[in-house]
Amino acid sequence: MRLVTEAPTTEQPALVLDGRFDAFETEKFRAACDELLAHGANSLSVDLSDVIFIDSSGLAELVRAMKHCRQSGGELVIVSPSDPVRVIFELTRLDAAFTIQDASVQAS
Amino acid sequence: MISSDLPAYRAWADTPLTERPKYSVVIPAYNESERILPTIGAIAVHMSSLGEPWELIVADDGSTDETVELLQGLGLANLKVLVAQQNGGKGSAVRRGMFAAEGDVLLFADADQSTPIEQFADLLSAIESGHDVAIGSRAAEGAEVTNKSLVRKIFSKGLNLLVRYGFGVPFADTQCGFKMFTAEAAEMLFTHQIVDQFSFDLEILYLAQNRFDLTVAEVPVEWIDAPGSTVDATKVAVEFLRDMAHIKWNDLRGRYASANHEWPKPASSTAALAS
Repeated sequence: MRLVTEAPTTEQPALVLDGRFDAFETEKFRAACDELLAHGANSLSVDLSDVIFIDSSGLAELVRAMKHCRQSGGELVIVSPSDPVRVIFELTRLDAAFTIQDASVQAS
Repeated sequence: MISSDLPAYRAWADTPLTERPKYSVVIPAYNESERILPTIGAIAVHMSSLGEPWELIVADDGSTDETVELLQGLGLANLKVLVAQQNGGKGSAVRRGMFAAEGDVLLFADADQSTPIEQFADLLSAIESGHDVAIGSRAAEGAEVTNKSLVRKIFSKGLNLLVRYGFGVPFADTQCGFKMFTAEAAEMLFTHQIVDQFSFDLEILYLAQNRFDLTVAEVPVEWIDAPGSTVDATKVAVEFLRDMAHIKWNDLRGRYASANHEWPKPASSTAALAS
């Protein structure tokens, strides 16, 4: 999985992921989240438009990050999940737990 | 904006098929409550995007966790959940799934999505070019294997040498959990299958090569090791060696001369494939 951090010094930096977000990748994601939250961000955007698969470890990591954001009064926003990822959110009922936005909404 | 694959998925999820499926995907599952939903999501979206009628079958293998309840609660119109009262082994779960499948082309895929469903097209090409069976291979030239430990690689290589030169099954990888069959080939192989455990794949390939003279294509696939495997490698290796001997012994005793299980479908369901 590739992970790129965008706008790291803003109030709501973005993490852009691509590939497969599974148990082998959670450490990298956690480190990136923790660094941003430690440097003042309380909200995160996580762009999953190019993630082709997310397993339960990846989902758990997103839940963890969401809790951290909310504890700081912020929010974790899932941006433009790919079709399989969107359906995985639905099947696991996590679509109700997360704020999910399309990139066009974010940009406006 | 709704992207292109979602409407096809929604239709598959909401509306029962009114025609015979072209493809059946069978997933054997034993205590997979942690992993099964993401796998179903990925498979359902990809398969629905192909534009052909298809069905998904999860063959539970006597799970003691919430696998069955989770699946039954999904309400997917074209998902069949086969419930087993007790654990019978992966081979028995796959066989039950194959027996329940109604498609022209049958795939079984492991529940951990370690071979991504996007590889379906590569195996289908082999079937459409005339092969009876297409097997995913992590060892064929062109395969991409990620996160497989060195110990496991050595282990697999050693077992494979035994299989090739001691057993006469000339494939670089017999155990990848991603195999495709025509319905006719599935009927031949799974009605004669005896091994219910992990090494049923080996028996299936042995039968394909030595009993039925079926054509088998070994197709290189992308494979990503999935953490949390429910397979105990040492136990599996011992069973594998034991089953190799059993399969040979079964053959010598003539136990593959006639079917060991009844194909629970009308003959017309496979006869149509010949046309």
